[in-house]
Amino acid sequence: MNCYEHTLIAKQDLQESDVKNLISKYEGIINKNSGEVLKIEKWGLKKFSYLIKNNKKGFYFHIKLNGIGKTIKELEKAENIDQSLIRFLTVRVKKHDLKKEYFEKNES
Amino acid sequence: MKRKKNFKKNKKSSRHSKLSLFQKSDTKFARSCPFSEKGAPEIDYKNIKLLKRYISESGRILPSRVTSVSFKKQRELSQSIKRARILALI
Repeated sequence: MNCYEHTLIAKQDLQESDVKNLISKYEGIINKNSGEVLKIEKWGLKKFSYLIKNNKKGFYFHIKLNGIGKTIKELEKAENIDQSLIRFLTVRVKKHDLKKEYFEKNES
Repeated sequence: MKRKKNFKKNKKSSRHSKLSLFQKSDTKFARSCPFSEKGAPEIDYKNIKLLKRYISESGRILPSRVTSVSFKKQRELSQSIKRARILALI
């Protein structure tokens, strides 16, 4: 099992129910492919430092998970065809730091 | 490896040898790496406040000879700056 950090950027014009569906959808994909979610951080609506496909802002989600290579493969496969996502990033880390949070929780 | 060893030796010997009056001391201006000290902050692509200190105004990564970050930590730093760029945080 490896430790991964996964960050998603979703489009700005999402309803709250869409956001919940989005998270639970990817959580399901992770759990199906022999992975486990440890923590989900919501960084809220943040302004980009540059335009991405004519978007100025986006919703940030940060997932800390344990899994194998197949977990990430299936996860990114699903994200690549998702229209409501702008970008994602997966980083493999040696150890999870569950306490520290660099971004304040913005519930909006 | 050989060069590094020699470099260390030279530094040691120069520190102990007496300086002449008009000779500039080379140890005076050498700063230690800000990430190698005790209690130094960890380099992370989420820590934007920290990373912003090591990029120029136009967003370019500053060279380690300016910031005196060690080679190993500079590699980590540039990697995490690039990750932050992907997420449009910097």
